[in-house]
Amino acid sequence: MNLLRQIALLFTVCVAGELISVLSGRLLPGNVLGMVLLLVLLLTSRLRPEAVENTADFFLNNMAFFFLPSTLGILRIYEQIQSELVKLAVICLVTTLLTAASVGWTVVLVRRLQQKGAKKS
Amino acid sequence: MIEVFTSPLAWLTLSLLLFELAKALSARIKNPAANPLLMTALMLGTILVTTGTPLEDYESGGAFLTLMLTPATVALAIPIYRQRETLRRNLLPILAGTLVGSVVSVVSVFVLSRTMNLDWTVLAALLPKSVTLAIAMPLAESLGGLSAVTVVAVSITGIGGAVILPPFLKLLKIRDPIATGIAIGTASHAVGTSRALELGETEGAMSSLAIGITGLMTAVIITIISVFL
Repeated sequence: MNLLRQIALLFTVCVAGELISVLSGRLLPGNVLGMVLLLVLLLTSRLRPEAVENTADFFLNNMAFFFLPSTLGILRIYEQIQSELVKLAVICLVTTLLTAASVGWTVVLVRRLQQKGAKKS
Repeated sequence: MIEVFTSPLAWLTLSLLLFELAKALSARIKNPAANPLLMTALMLGTILVTTGTPLEDYESGGAFLTLMLTPATVALAIPIYRQRETLRRNLLPILAGTLVGSVVSVVSVFVLSRTMNLDWTVLAALLPKSVTLAIAMPLAESLGGLSAVTVVAVSITGIGGAVILPPFLKLLKIRDPIATGIAIGTASHAVGTSRALELGETEGAMSSLAIGITGLMTAVIITIISVFL
């Protein structure tokens, strides 16, 4: 589909997501709701993937670039957090390990239970 | 004449050119820490500091990029849609894994941060750290966290996770590729997923699904938390 039309569609979903977010009292951020909305539209075949996929792929493949100004924002607060950087790194790494371990074991457990259930029937 | 080089378009162009350079360098260096985004930010940051340019000047061009983050996040629906068969077949493990992971992540961050006596603005910024940056930033802000800290936390989590998680999971004797993929995606989102893809197609598919779903789960958890504050 024509690129400009794809952009129009994608952006409309973004605004719709933002609208739902505000109307629901900011329960979830607008971009998350927009993502859910687009997914629902696709899964219910209200929207064909061709209607947005070129534009979507462009954004996805280059996502890192759009974070550039946000990353520069670190400069602004660097002095503030300089002393805490080691603490931050430790927290990040330790919690990442804990998270991954808990997920890994959970999935293994669930799969094992599923396989047992399948064997019984 | 100097306005030519400090116009919004000029800042955007500089960003683009430096990013291309960083991508070329990253392809040579082959270390996950040689991340193009980080390298570009460092180069741009150096230029801004050495020329004494205030960040607001850059923002005149940079604001456009930040604006594009919303469509980029919404676009995450497409990979999930493309993987819908895989999602359907592994729904329970994926939901269970991402839910447990989201809870463990938020709780462990909270406990460790409190133990280290971190300021609320920093703590709140760290809570969504295992979620992809586009979703993590608004979540942190909704709790009153410094989104710039979130950028740091998410970067360390992603890059650090990509490096240490595969060997770590192997150490824990977790060999199931589905479990490995979901674990990596939940704990270290997009950067982790790029590593998971190197491990295998299943790991990569699971990991990329986990990014979006963890984002959603963590968003709900954080909303619940914010209600109690």
